[in-house]
Amino acid sequence: MDTKDSHDLQRLFDLRALEDALYREARLLDGEQLTEWLEQTTEDVVYRMALTSRRFRKDRSAPLPVGHGYIFNDTRGRLALRIKRLQSGYVWAEDPPNFVRRLVGNVEIVPTEIPDEMTVYSVITIHRSRIDSQTRTFIAGREDLWRKVEGRWLLAKRDITLDHSTIPDTNMNVFF
Amino acid sequence: MDTATLFDFRTGRQSRRIYSADEIYQLELERIYGRCWLFLAHDSQIPTAGDYIRTFMGEDEVLVVRQKDRSVRAFLNTCTHRGNRLCRADRGNARAFTCNYHGWSFTADGELAGVPLEKEAYFNEIDRSKHGLVPVAQVQIYNGLIFGNFDADAPSLSDYLGDAKWYLDVWLDAMPGGTSLAGETQKIDFPTNWKFPVENVCGDGYHLGWAHHAAMQAVQTMDLAGLRAGNSDASGLDMGMSVAGLNGHMVLAALDGQSGYAFYPDPKPFVNYLEANRATVSERLGPVRAQKLWGSQLNITIFPNLQLLPGLNWFRVYHPKGPAKVEQWTWAMVENDMPEDIKSMILENQCLTFGPAGLFDNDDGDNLTACTEQSRGWRTAQMDLYTHMALGHSAPREGFPGDIATGLVSEHNQRYFYRRWQELTSAASWKDVASYNLNSLTEKG
Repeated sequence: MDTKDSHDLQRLFDLRALEDALYREARLLDGEQLTEWLEQTTEDVVYRMALTSRRFRKDRSAPLPVGHGYIFNDTRGRLALRIKRLQSGYVWAEDPPNFVRRLVGNVEIVPTEIPDEMTVYSVITIHRSRIDSQTRTFIAGREDLWRKVEGRWLLAKRDITLDHSTIPDTNMNVFF
Repeated sequence: MDTATLFDFRTGRQSRRIYSADEIYQLELERIYGRCWLFLAHDSQIPTAGDYIRTFMGEDEVLVVRQKDRSVRAFLNTCTHRGNRLCRADRGNARAFTCNYHGWSFTADGELAGVPLEKEAYFNEIDRSKHGLVPVAQVQIYNGLIFGNFDADAPSLSDYLGDAKWYLDVWLDAMPGGTSLAGETQKIDFPTNWKFPVENVCGDGYHLGWAHHAAMQAVQTMDLAGLRAGNSDASGLDMGMSVAGLNGHMVLAALDGQSGYAFYPDPKPFVNYLEANRATVSERLGPVRAQKLWGSQLNITIFPNLQLLPGLNWFRVYHPKGPAKVEQWTWAMVENDMPEDIKSMILENQCLTFGPAGLFDNDDGDNLTACTEQSRGWRTAQMDLYTHMALGHSAPREGFPGDIATGLVSEHNQRYFYRRWQELTSAASWKDVASYNLNSLTEKG
């Protein structure tokens, strides 16, 4: 096997491993294994979901002075804070637990200039079955940066584009 | 429809039908949302001529537009031709609004400026002056807050707000630069009757320790006591107070610098800001408000559906969408004199605590939804509910307007909220609606 072949083979391994990582984190989150999920992120992870508005394509208004703001703008510490709350046993809205299932698709993995970092695009659907017949669905696009640290792919950055101009649920006790 | 039996101020009893019956909701649209001053927009959201916001007054959709002469006008967001929604964007800047259906076009001052095929199809016989946008009867501004009123006979905004202005100014007028809303609108589809979230914030300190226990636990490492350092000379901790009897407006006030700033991971810059500016505020508002209120947690409710919370720094409106649904709109709010890093920190922390994924906000949704759902059953709807905690335990408090109950845990404010609800729903016009500002400071000179 020459160098190119081995390089291509490594790339295939990486693609496979990254796709697995996406599915694994969906399974961990569905199963509320939040600490294990957090371990699949880097120490400097940035986890964001921007606030947005519906505006005309040709709108001329000035940018908002303090910025648009974020629904999530989390460091690893802040993610840990959210997890601490969810695992406290006092989040009444999650007890009984809701049925939550994630579907991850449209996965596209693009190399960056740094060999051990990959951009990963995906789409996530989160289905929540709440009390009785009440169901809620979140749909979002994700643009991630994944970094290989000691042979393991870890989430280093996630920008989530939520495709709802009005949030269709009264809490977002879920990670995307 | 008589609402006299649906609430009793003396006992705090209310019928559960007020959260579910469609006929009562329709009455509210007419007599509360059709009559009260409703928040439309903040000056800071539409700074430039042509800036606009699409919002709601009750279930009526309105466009709020900054005019060339800096004034603000508001119009029903409906084309006067066939009734189509005129503007479909949330906000923006425009010279004109053009309807998607047939292309009728309206200028920022509401005039019908363009009708396609005016000559060919209308034979130039259309009187464009008769088909301008329908204006909201009254638009008035108080310290940056733009309100609209559908009722031309309503009292002035200033009279409507009454002594609540004394408390409002602790946020709106403490610093010379005024205030702004920050960030995009945080919109949530919320299946609750509009009165439940208002009640939850206007006076209900009771639920904090239990409903928000998980969030409290998560943020418990944050330094609550340290925050008071720069903000008050008071030696002991005041219990806080529930203020009502102000034309249906209410304030739930922590005092002496106890506030939601404590939930911020690093409140030090705020303490510094408060320390540096308290003398200015004292000069502007006097020592009582500068010492006891500025920098403290205030839950201010302007009847019927506006709440602003200095300390947690969020600003919220509930748009009713039927007896069992609201669209909840929230913004972060800042003082314009704050340094930029503090403004950013506020936007950040407001989202973390009371945004759509807020650590605290996410505890309230299911409770208020379920209170609403539980008012629908045939037998359940015949039940009464009570807001009778600390009934009879209120009094004047020297130096503060309003009828005041000590502490943050009572149902004093809620009772006054429902009293105003009843006064408005049972009155045929503003002439029959009492105006009252209990224990007014101005009365005593």
